[in-house]
Amino acid sequence: MRFWIGSFIVAVVLSGVCAWTVADDPVPAGPYTLLYPASFGGRFTIPADNPMTQEGVYLGRLLFYEPKLSSTQTISCASCHQQARAFTDGLALSIGVHGKTTRRNSMSLTNLLWVRQLFWDGRSTSLEEQALVPLGHTDEMGSKPGEAAKALQKTIPYPVLFKQVFGSDTITDVRISKALAQFERTLISANSRYDQYAAGQYQLTESEQRGMQLFNRSPSPERNVRGGNCAHCHGGAKLFQELFHNNGLDKQATDSGRQAITGLALDQGRFRVPTLRNIALTAPYMHDGRFNSLEKVLDHYSEHIQPSPMLAPELAGQPNGFHLTTGEKTDLISFLRLFTDSTFIHNPQFANPH
Amino acid sequence: MKTINAQLAGCWSLSVLIVCLLTGLKSQAQTVLTVTGEVTKPLTLQTADLTAMAHTQVTGKDRDGKDHQYSGILVVDLLKQAGATVGGELRGENLTKYVIVKAIDGYEVLFALPELDAEFASRSIILADSVDGASLGPGVGPYRIVVPGEKKPARWIREVKSIEVRFAK
Repeated sequence: MRFWIGSFIVAVVLSGVCAWTVADDPVPAGPYTLLYPASFGGRFTIPADNPMTQEGVYLGRLLFYEPKLSSTQTISCASCHQQARAFTDGLALSIGVHGKTTRRNSMSLTNLLWVRQLFWDGRSTSLEEQALVPLGHTDEMGSKPGEAAKALQKTIPYPVLFKQVFGSDTITDVRISKALAQFERTLISANSRYDQYAAGQYQLTESEQRGMQLFNRSPSPERNVRGGNCAHCHGGAKLFQELFHNNGLDKQATDSGRQAITGLALDQGRFRVPTLRNIALTAPYMHDGRFNSLEKVLDHYSEHIQPSPMLAPELAGQPNGFHLTTGEKTDLISFLRLFTDSTFIHNPQFANPH
Repeated sequence: MKTINAQLAGCWSLSVLIVCLLTGLKSQAQTVLTVTGEVTKPLTLQTADLTAMAHTQVTGKDRDGKDHQYSGILVVDLLKQAGATVGGELRGENLTKYVIVKAIDGYEVLFALPELDAEFASRSIILADSVDGASLGPGVGPYRIVVPGEKKPARWIREVKSIEVRFAK
């Protein structure tokens, strides 16, 4: 009992300190400069009505870690998008305010600046639009329209901060989503060992070297070339291509995926090709989190691809998979581990500010 | 008993037939290609519209390294129908226009307008709907761009769903 009372006092004192910190820290101001490698390219759009500012990113970060956004005031964006896990939650399906699971696996929030169609099914074309979906979904944060804005309006620090960012202290869902989007655009991962290798600052081990060849090469039995052709969909400096594919998880997809958005029969069971950035940190894998390890993912692509008319043509050419040896799988996994960016998961700019 | 079974079977076949016809009709009525952007008459085309358009035959080497006969609609004909600035209008600032072709899977490729225009280009780039007399297979069709003579078929974009004309800005 004494322990609990003690903890309670500590908690009260801490929350007081936090509130005080939020209100009194000098808020950075001015345009925000995005820093990224030239190889990532400039194919992105910042909405004209939501320019990046330091104060906007600051507010967005506070909101990202703010449980007051949820109907029960218990869940923040960071509940399902934890920095240590490259902004995923380690669960096959996430758990929302009512204890029910979400339909799909929590996606890693990495290099979203370049993503043009968000979610597993690509339904949202901007981060501003995207952020409102989990905010209002009954199985996620469960806030009714305007509910989260109202909760923040009652606080001391938030109206002041919204005034600094948007010129008015009126808090709205749209403004919440704008600030969140600004913060999310800063979540850039570009310092993995793979990036260091590309910049000539890291030497691959023999296993990583073999893994990279398998990753990049398309198999050609007639020329005796082994390969997993991973780079076809996951290649490039950013380790992602904006594509939607059916990767043969099931003969008959149980989740229609992108078809529900486009209405096209050919889109049945197609999902976003996810980034491989920090892939070793973002288990479990696939839209439904069915594989809990990279080994199981490779077993799928190696031996268990299910044929269907919607199966991606690059996979359809391989009967049931790429038939990798145990050694090849080990090499590929050692290469995939190079995509882990420890500076990204430890960047204090992305951490909980409360 | 046999008669009832036969009747049931008859009803079943009939309903299957109706469902097939309905879904057939539904898929016929579905938009399969859009031509939009810097055009005066954006197009929303269905399979029948494309089938009815004039077809051109070209020979091209696919990834298998073999020559195939492709049949399809000249991309420039689609652009003309949409009122894009091709032919005599393809001059001045219109030479900074380009076309983005998008596939169902999200793949995108680009062509500059003069690459597609017969007054500039000596090769005919088509939106193919058949290869060697057969429909394009799953993962390739129903429509695919074919660029005869291009050494690498990376712009032979499969599962084409839209063509958009844009100005370089």
